[in-house]
Amino acid sequence: MTELRRWAVPLGWLVLLLAATLGMGQLEGLFRWIEADSRQVIYARADFATLLGRHLLVVSVAAVLAILVGVGAAIAATRRWGRDFLPLVSQLASIGQTFPPVAVLALAVPVLGFGTLPIIVALLLYGLLPIVRNTLAGLEGIDPGVMEAARGMGMSGGQILRQVELPLAAPVILAGIRTSVTINIATAAIGATVGASNLGDPIISGIVNGNTAYVVQGALLIGLLAISVDSLFSRLPLAGAR
Amino acid sequence: MRPENPGPNVVLLSLSLVALAAWLGLDTVSVAANRIVPGTGHGVADVIGVAGALVSGVPWLALAGFAWRPTSRRFALALALVVLMLSALPAWLALSAVTLVDSAQARLGIGAGIWVVLFLLLLVMIELRSRLVLSRPIGWALLLPPVVSAGLCLSLWLEPLALWQEYRGRSGQFLGAVVEHLLLVGVAVGTSLVLGVLLALAMRRWPGVQKAGFGVLNFLQTIPSIALFGLLLAPLAWLSANVEWLAALGVSGIGWAPALLALVGYSLLPMVRNTFVALEAVDPGVIDAARGMGMSRGQVFRQVRLPLALPVILEGIRITTVQAIGLTAVAALIGAGGLGTFIFQGLGQAAMDLVLLGALPILVMALLVDALLGALTDVLRPGGAK
Repeated sequence: MTELRRWAVPLGWLVLLLAATLGMGQLEGLFRWIEADSRQVIYARADFATLLGRHLLVVSVAAVLAILVGVGAAIAATRRWGRDFLPLVSQLASIGQTFPPVAVLALAVPVLGFGTLPIIVALLLYGLLPIVRNTLAGLEGIDPGVMEAARGMGMSGGQILRQVELPLAAPVILAGIRTSVTINIATAAIGATVGASNLGDPIISGIVNGNTAYVVQGALLIGLLAISVDSLFSRLPLAGAR
Repeated sequence: MRPENPGPNVVLLSLSLVALAAWLGLDTVSVAANRIVPGTGHGVADVIGVAGALVSGVPWLALAGFAWRPTSRRFALALALVVLMLSALPAWLALSAVTLVDSAQARLGIGAGIWVVLFLLLLVMIELRSRLVLSRPIGWALLLPPVVSAGLCLSLWLEPLALWQEYRGRSGQFLGAVVEHLLLVGVAVGTSLVLGVLLALAMRRWPGVQKAGFGVLNFLQTIPSIALFGLLLAPLAWLSANVEWLAALGVSGIGWAPALLALVGYSLLPMVRNTFVALEAVDPGVIDAARGMGMSRGQVFRQVRLPLALPVILEGIRITTVQAIGLTAVAALIGAGGLGTFIFQGLGQAAMDLVLLGALPILVMALLVDALLGALTDVLRPGGAK
């Protein structure tokens, strides 16, 4: 019962997201009222479900890569053999935070061409930083006494990492992943300007054609997606502190 | 446990070897017959021959050598070498322009090799700076020779450089775009600073405002930026059509008005959050002591609470400004002007150098603002401690 209640809020948002994706056509009357002058008021160049799927795909591929690389780099920089890299990695994570996503995206296009690939790379680079920063903070923040105790119990380096460090740092790491994914859901929409097809498409097309109804549809779905994912993260068992 | 003779500096060693591989393995420049056709890449050997390419690897090996048995003297030498190499990069482009470009229409593009090497050299510089514990101003001064060298090469030999040609084709426009960009960011950050401080003060007095305020601001952040710009189109167009004095001010569905509104909306959350947290976090004991000294409420706020909170508030201004610089680029989509115009024009025309002309200054701007405000925060931190 309590388990169900815990997931009620994210489930509610997810249901709303699905309903909006599949039932956008039913709202034609509402959009007709918003955009009385246009002939077409429902974005029709692609299915909303397809756009949502592609949006999710791009964000999740980038997120998985960012988690692997980011957590991996932070773990490597806190091991004894990688300590030398620690100052550089943490400085890089804070400097990289200042790179505007549009600029990263724009710089990725000349190298990688138009389409989905530059978006994934830009999202990966951009999503990496909160993860690296938080993983470093989580691992560095562990009480040295705990580490000492674990070593005293005869645990090996790998055991300490898996059974002590990662579990203790998990809430902070998870908060970093949450920030990274939520930012990237919104940033991916900018990808529509470089030829990736996702929920940003209706927005760009709406701005170009002066059709507010399209913009509302894209924004609504991206907003619902961001809120659903964010509330899913907030219910994960480890995310107690934030 | 051997302070006099530590092992090799792994960071410097691996960075310089990776950079050497990138330098010899990737194309440093590309030459295109005109603006639109893709260029053909040229490696180091195409410019100065195989023997020359081997010689050009020497500085990298020297850098790796300094890292092998590091002392602070060798670190200093390595730093000097890095500054020299950074200054040599524009000269390399100039040399390539002279040897490879033969027609007036041909354009020289900067290849992946140069970008990677530039990035790695800057990383080496950061690493050396922290090893040698150099102060911020010295770190900045070290960037001066490369910048001077770039300026010199651009004005003398780099006429065929594609990026430079894009710039000269629209130098007036470029300057205007930079000013527009800075103006939009400045006004948006200024407005959100005033509103943010007022809102944070209101939140401290009335807890109800706090809950509702953070709720609304958090919600605003979930709307993607391009959507927020787009959503303001219709209401503002309606306003300018129906309210005369707004139309006279230049408010319309596209242009600076929706951009500014959206920018302020996005900037408010970090601003309010930091200001609120900063004012709340001041040690109550300090406030008690100040009251005990007979200070009035106003005095306590002005002379104790505000100065103590200032570094965290400045941190909020820094985050907000950096974020606004990036968002303003997106605002170009709705005709707000600024450097984003070049990015989206370039993407539309598949002219990648035009994209660079927009994106690079935005990047530099964000880094500069970040560094300047960061330095200011350090200066204002009371006693450098807390």
